[in-house]
Amino acid sequence: MHRQVCRLMAGAAVIALSAPAAYSQELTIFWAEWDPANYLQELVNEYEAETGVTVTVETTPWQDFQTKAFTEFNARGSAYDMIVGDSQWLGAASEGGHYVDLTEFFQKHNLGEVMAPATVKYYAEYPGNSGKYWAIPAEGDAVGWAYRKDWFEDPAEMEAFKAKYGYDLAPPTTWAQLLDIAEFFHRPDQNRYGVAIYTDNSYDGLVMGVENALFSYGAELGDPSTYQVDGILNSDKAVAALDAYRKLYGFTPPGWSKTFFVENNQAITENLAAMSMNYFAFFPALVNPATNPNAANTGFFANPAGPDGDQFAALGGQGISIVSYSENQEEAFKFLEWFIRDDVQKRWAELGGYTAHAKTLESEEFRKATPYNEAFFQTMFKVKDFWAVPEYAELLTAANQRIYPFVVGGEGTAKEVLDALANDWTETFKKYGRIK
Amino acid sequence: MADVMTRLEPNSRAAARGLSDLSIRNLFIIPTITFLIVFNVFPLIYSLYTGFTDYRASTTAPANWVGLANFRELLSDPFIWRNFTITAKYVVISVTGQVIVGFGLAMLLNRPMALKGLITTLLMLPMMLSPAVVGLFWKLLYDPSFGIINYFLGLGKFEWLADPQMALWAVAMVDIWMWSPFVMLLSLAGLSAVPKHLYEAAEIDRAGPFYTFFRITLPLVAPILMIAIIFRTMEAFKTFDHAYILSSQPTTELIAIRLYKMAFLEWQTGLSSAFAYIVLIVVVAITNIYVKYLNKAKAR
Amino acid sequence: MAEIKTKGEMLFNRGAILAVVVALIIMLTPIYWIAATSFKARNLATTIPPTVVFEPTLAPFAKLFTKRSQLREPVAPEVYEAAPWWEKLIYDGGEQVVRNKKTNEPTSSGFGNRYMNSLIVSIISTFLAVSMGTLTAYGFSRFRVPGEQDWLFFILSTRMLPPVVVAIPMFLMYRAVGLHDTHIGLIILYTAFNLSFAVWIMKGFIDEIPREYEEAALVDGYTRMEAFFKIVLPEALTGIAATAVFCFITAWNEYAFALMMTSKNAQTAPPYIPSQVGSGLSDWTVIASGAFLFLVPVAIFTFLLRNHLLRGMSFGAIRK
Repeated sequence: MHRQVCRLMAGAAVIALSAPAAYSQELTIFWAEWDPANYLQELVNEYEAETGVTVTVETTPWQDFQTKAFTEFNARGSAYDMIVGDSQWLGAASEGGHYVDLTEFFQKHNLGEVMAPATVKYYAEYPGNSGKYWAIPAEGDAVGWAYRKDWFEDPAEMEAFKAKYGYDLAPPTTWAQLLDIAEFFHRPDQNRYGVAIYTDNSYDGLVMGVENALFSYGAELGDPSTYQVDGILNSDKAVAALDAYRKLYGFTPPGWSKTFFVENNQAITENLAAMSMNYFAFFPALVNPATNPNAANTGFFANPAGPDGDQFAALGGQGISIVSYSENQEEAFKFLEWFIRDDVQKRWAELGGYTAHAKTLESEEFRKATPYNEAFFQTMFKVKDFWAVPEYAELLTAANQRIYPFVVGGEGTAKEVLDALANDWTETFKKYGRIK
Repeated sequence: MADVMTRLEPNSRAAARGLSDLSIRNLFIIPTITFLIVFNVFPLIYSLYTGFTDYRASTTAPANWVGLANFRELLSDPFIWRNFTITAKYVVISVTGQVIVGFGLAMLLNRPMALKGLITTLLMLPMMLSPAVVGLFWKLLYDPSFGIINYFLGLGKFEWLADPQMALWAVAMVDIWMWSPFVMLLSLAGLSAVPKHLYEAAEIDRAGPFYTFFRITLPLVAPILMIAIIFRTMEAFKTFDHAYILSSQPTTELIAIRLYKMAFLEWQTGLSSAFAYIVLIVVVAITNIYVKYLNKAKAR
Repeated sequence: MAEIKTKGEMLFNRGAILAVVVALIIMLTPIYWIAATSFKARNLATTIPPTVVFEPTLAPFAKLFTKRSQLREPVAPEVYEAAPWWEKLIYDGGEQVVRNKKTNEPTSSGFGNRYMNSLIVSIISTFLAVSMGTLTAYGFSRFRVPGEQDWLFFILSTRMLPPVVVAIPMFLMYRAVGLHDTHIGLIILYTAFNLSFAVWIMKGFIDEIPREYEEAALVDGYTRMEAFFKIVLPEALTGIAATAVFCFITAWNEYAFALMMTSKNAQTAPPYIPSQVGSGLSDWTVIASGAFLFLVPVAIFTFLLRNHLLRGMSFGAIRK
């Protein structure tokens, strides 16, 4: 009798102690440390208000985001329930078993159409065209261009430009115009330069930049279904594109040898360049007069078309995935259901997030909201990305080793560089058994 | 007991009181050695093993034994050989620079001087900064458009980091700036140990300054200077933060940078472990030579 | 050497002082630039000609300690007026403090906590490394140790392996034994890093202290322990001070492992300082203010130890 009472009491105590934990659910999302992560925290606070589930966005500096995420995966850590990971990670994270398969969820909610199709392809699907989905497009992003409206609209400049090139000075719609304008504004003696482009080869900066030329020139990195590279990566179109990028480098400010998004925004704020390529995610700083003295004179355009009218842009941005080692997967699924709701995606955009939600993107309201939203909207339907295979970083290293000396140092020719790179990539694909 | 005591009278009364010399020796040394073994043995064996596998820490796939394949791949990669050449050049430039600047400063400071404590502290400030911050700020200082170096030296648009040949020197210069104080402080401690009467004797003998320096000063400071050189060489081999931030030129890709990319961007854990062991062997060999010199310097 | 001053010697002394001044200028200009930048308004950080005279502001420090995001529309005047001084400075910079939705409390950037963690971890690990290092160095210096050279080389070699390779096994090891993201974990790690250095430097110094002094003490009836603490330790203070300064600096600025081995509780400051690029524009003033605040404790620590650092090894005279 007495013993039973004891047991009962012990049982009650256990229940009492565990009860709060069972009801106050908590979810953790892991992302890099930047403004959009703050916006996401604001958004998920509303989820908490609605459901009582606390969601925390945990962040780490960009340069270590990838390392930290994968070491955590490797240790099968359950610290993070969801992760807003880069598109290139899909291969490694899905083949490594780190991401939960979202294919069913995707089909149930028809996300292939709810989100802009091009973003689904690169943020969510792996392997290409397999119909398997591992993430939901969360922060859409791509490379666009900022330019100095005041320089472009200066009557004297317009006249001089027309006299020299035979057409009106305006934001370029083709790469040929882009090159002309860069050359036109390149005046080292006045401390003014033509263009700011990505050249940092410590990770994916340089390659991202080159991709913008490559894709718009109608070239491809290779065939994603057969991993055939030779003849595609080193096609005439690709060679022309790389030559164009090299030419652009000639119109950059001095010392432009390790530049990425920070330097390229600086090129606008510090009056260095007429045009500057950058991720849309970093344009808010350029329309803020407190951080950009030229905010009122900064305009934006989408990556221009190539000689054959192809127009694409290199993809940035991230999708949100559920981590396999999470102990709260059910709750995470519930959260994702909320996250893809039309009204939540609209709110996400209002808060400053870059939605990939097709309906929101197409809305008049979104396209007018900021000076760069129109360009963003145009771009999100024509993005292309780098390889997403687990060995993507090896492909990236080879690309950096081959392309950088040509673009920055002027060593070799574009054809030689791309031939050598096609060879490197073929070797890598062979090493991993993707081709025989 | 006598075999424990080497440099003390074996029959001193010390052994009779308190702890025996043997137990003092063990008490002082064994914890440190045990700690270092325990702490290092797992990582060392782990990386030695993965060096012979195709393991990738980014996946949960099991590691496959590949024998010497990793070592073969590394040694036949021309880019890796270039990494070694670049690193060797970098180590020589930066350690030599640090010894010249650091030892020179110590010679200058080794005299009665007003505010000596303050001056020494101020000179040591560069090495107190975090290497990543140093990298960021020197990138700003070197910038041709708004850096102060070109402005104050009147160099116009000189491209420190964009020029493939200059970049390595520019990176090494930052290392020299940052770590000369290390050599300076150790040399200063060594210099102050040189007994004054030796100088006085030299003066009476009308010995020239060169003779005094090479025959009296240098030999006496040599052991501690050698220790400084050993540590700076080892650290220079591992240089990563500021070099990674300052430049991404192929001509400045030091071993540690390539290693980092291989291990944490490409996740070739097996290959990078093999690479690290090659580096380890090289560093052990170099350090060994240094330690031999050190012992010779001490024996004098 | 004290009184005799020839003309040449005086000239030489003047030259030496001039050289020291030049060295000071070269070594300190970048430091001064960081310190100055940490009190500048954001737009003054990258001007040409460089801004030397300016009105100092505390805005960089206000930013350093708070979590901020871009202001997308101008702040309402009544909100601005009601804000405390530091928040006004942030509004002036075109940013707003991220506030907790429920409590409306401003969100901290975590820099304060990180700073405290850095202090705890660095001080304790320095103390451990220096004390263990001194004892071990004494042991090697004074007693016969079988395989002495090999053990010393082993101790040295623990610092040779490139850290990127040790990182993954270390991470796994820490996860397995529950040291991940703890202060103790970092303290052990940094003690291990610094120990080899401490042993080697301290051995260098203790070798210079003549044994005759201990012998005399032993003859006077001291025990070996007493002789060590009362005779050797005071003589080794210069070495201890120098070693402590170096160990503290290493632990204080360590970056790569601090990042990998911590996630919430034990994060230190170095990985935080260079990461001010959230909006795609680096704010040099905030990076500078973080670097400046982070420099202060080491500078003070070194300054306090300066007399020990400079005292030198007074007994070197009896060397053979």
